[in-house]
Amino acid sequence: MSNGAATRRLLLPGSSFYVIFFVIPFVILGLYSFWTQIDFKMHPGFTLEHYQAVLTTSLYKGVFLRTIIVATLTAIIVVPIAYVLSYIMQFVFPRKGRILFDIILVSMFSGYLVRIYAWRTILGKEGLLNATLLQLRIISKPITFLIFSNWSIAITLVGLLIPLALLPISSSMANVSKDHLEVAGDLGSRGLKMHRTILIPMVLPGISTAFAISFILAAGDFVVPTMVGGTNGVMVGNLIADQFKGLAPNWPLGAALAMSVLVVLIAIHAALMRLVREITRW
Amino acid sequence: MVTSLMLISKRQLRRSLRNLSPAIFVGVVLSYLFAPVIVTVLFSFTSSPRLSLPIEGFTFQWYESAFSNPLFVDAMRNTLILALTSAIIAVLLGTSFAFGITSIKGRRRKIALTASLLPAAIPALVLGISLAVFFSGIGSSQGLLNAAIGHAVLSLPFVILTMNARLETFDFTTLEAARDLGASPLQTFRDITLPLISTAVIGAGLLAIALSLDEFVVTWFNIGNEMTIPVLIWGLLRRGIDPSINALASVVLVSLIIIVTLSNRLTHRTEK
Repeated sequence: MSNGAATRRLLLPGSSFYVIFFVIPFVILGLYSFWTQIDFKMHPGFTLEHYQAVLTTSLYKGVFLRTIIVATLTAIIVVPIAYVLSYIMQFVFPRKGRILFDIILVSMFSGYLVRIYAWRTILGKEGLLNATLLQLRIISKPITFLIFSNWSIAITLVGLLIPLALLPISSSMANVSKDHLEVAGDLGSRGLKMHRTILIPMVLPGISTAFAISFILAAGDFVVPTMVGGTNGVMVGNLIADQFKGLAPNWPLGAALAMSVLVVLIAIHAALMRLVREITRW
Repeated sequence: MVTSLMLISKRQLRRSLRNLSPAIFVGVVLSYLFAPVIVTVLFSFTSSPRLSLPIEGFTFQWYESAFSNPLFVDAMRNTLILALTSAIIAVLLGTSFAFGITSIKGRRRKIALTASLLPAAIPALVLGISLAVFFSGIGSSQGLLNAAIGHAVLSLPFVILTMNARLETFDFTTLEAARDLGASPLQTFRDITLPLISTAVIGAGLLAIALSLDEFVVTWFNIGNEMTIPVLIWGLLRRGIDPSINALASVVLVSLIIIVTLSNRLTHRTEK
């Protein structure tokens, strides 16, 4: 058994690294949200004024609401796409599933900033989509709602998040065999009913993780709204980034904004997962 | 007769549609995912800075202007330093962690594994600002090292995931056999363990390099005045349309795709 203890010791370097550079910084950020900043200097203490500002300032309230709507919209689009993809890869094209998965994974690592910028090139008023549609005479005026709107933010985020959502769903689905689904079919659960009563409940942990990941990452992104969101496209991520890299930094306020958005997201996620569990009951 | 024929063809049509629709779905999703990549590479070669169809005028001029940017050499050097440093840290810590986790069984193992993947589920923005706050709190000024540590935190979950998958099919009895035959722990590691896991380790390392090459957010909050390729691209993006962005981006894209494909090959080969 001394061997087991020796092996367990191998956890130490990685765990300490996480504690020092991930857990402690996060706790400090949390603490800072209760501090005050006077003349660019941090003063320890306990004040709720930043949270109060988050809750009462109409700008912040509006941006929060927008962020939550866009993030929810994004996650609601991303998760079903990832679920269907994962189902197709495993049960419809089982032999090509592996290579499909790899191709999608490659897209995940193919240039974060660049892909965001490319959507501007595609969706812009003089962008590729409008140019093509105009040339084909499908439209007579450029479509403008696709860029610098909630739509362009969601379209861009969906593309970034599909591969990430696919990972947990397909790893959950890997535990389901074709036999399971055939037995379900013999017992009368076919088509949509099979998905609702058998497969979705079986891969619910993966779906829940995928939803959480896409939801949280969508709400925390500031590059996408900066690039394709336009002047009215500010999201919480921009507000937070501004408190650290902007012209008038305010770390405690930025910290409070970050903590608030995380809390709200976790609450919404819990509520939605409860809803899904209710709907998919037998 | 005619109606029955029509019925058959209708049914066949429906069936073939049903057989085709998964392929169509996959096709649509893939084009959605890769459209930005294709657009970027395409426009890095067109002479007209205005984006319009039909695409005409093949040129290398954007590559020339991207490479002659005075910040390019610095940015490239820093990007490579960050990628190598963070990948080495992440691979050492992640491989060790993945071995350590094999000593835990059942539910607690699952919890430990999930906890170790947490940095991948937190917005990079939050990771970036909390690291910045932490480093300023301990009096360390921003720079390459801070960014490298940030990259290592981001890569660790992916290294742990890769190595954990490899170790799931790892035959630990060979290690016991080596020890029974009198090999020291160091010998066992060097002669047995390392050769068995080396392809997975390289695969995980390449993944960490790819993540770091592409990383912008954590870098931006922690690197201070230093320049990396993504930071350079960000600066150019904010200034407006500049086709040399597409050239710069295409170089990054192609290297990323090569590295990730290679990494994928290596990690899957060891699974079998």
